[in-house]
Amino acid sequence: MNISDIQTAASRWVDDHGECLYRYALVRVRKPEVAEDLVQETFLAAVRGYDKFGGRSSERSWLVGILKNKIVDRFRKLGRETSFTDTEFLSDEFSEKFVSIGFWNHDLGPHEWKPEPDAVMHRTEFWQVMGDCLSKLPEKIRAVFTMREMDEVPSKEICAILSISDSNLWVMLHRARMALRECLEMNWFDTPAGGTV
Amino acid sequence: MPEEPYNPSPIGNPSVLARRNWWQTTLVKFIGKHTPKCREMVRILSQSMDEPMPLGMRVKKRLHFLICCWCQRYEEQLVYLRQTARQFPGHADEASDAEFSSEARERIRQKIAESTH
Repeated sequence: MNISDIQTAASRWVDDHGECLYRYALVRVRKPEVAEDLVQETFLAAVRGYDKFGGRSSERSWLVGILKNKIVDRFRKLGRETSFTDTEFLSDEFSEKFVSIGFWNHDLGPHEWKPEPDAVMHRTEFWQVMGDCLSKLPEKIRAVFTMREMDEVPSKEICAILSISDSNLWVMLHRARMALRECLEMNWFDTPAGGTV
Repeated sequence: MPEEPYNPSPIGNPSVLARRNWWQTTLVKFIGKHTPKCREMVRILSQSMDEPMPLGMRVKKRLHFLICCWCQRYEEQLVYLRQTARQFPGHADEASDAEFSSEARERIRQKIAESTH
């Protein structure tokens, strides 16, 4: 493919996938100008690496893959500059959900989640709730959770990238999962849209 | 009327000790005493998403699930979170209505053009 073909393709990517990449980056970094920069870096890297894209995956997942790497690079840089440990968030770990001896308070324990994951994947409202719930997590907690669960970075690697200890990572992931689970249950699964009620 | 089948972890039953005879109550109390409490169990379940759970703890977890449908649900929901979180990036355009401005698009097109010259 010659240069002008790549340029035409890249221009189309901006229209076809720019918005998705931008909104994804925004969930991860929150600041619009940083999200725009990440999307720009993604497209430039895609242009440079176009030869390597053999069409094995869809264009979108290829571009999302590049963006994920750019986000991890950004966190790596931030990890060198600031401490990524946050063990303050949710330090009571929803203690009201447990009775004093440590068992679930049965009225407040996890509810049953009805729709199977495959069924919610096609529901726009689900992704909106998920995006809102992720945005409510404090920055460092969100960074750790999204690297682990969205970028699928192994936990040892996250510790190395962000310079945090194993035990702090587990505490942060545990609290992120608890808070996100709770938020999804309240705002999706326990609502008529979510299908539990 | 046929007797209701025994279900050690009845979904929707507000108490793990409800509808149980003396033996069952003793068994539930025994399991409760010898497996981690739920507050600890949910922490262990989360950690097991990141590193393998030792065999002894896997056995304790199974026993604990016999008396606790809440922890069992919690574990299923952690897997649910993982499955959906992995799909999130491809659906990010549905997750918000933040606008990717035309200025940003134009600037990026410009940069792409510069980079290919």
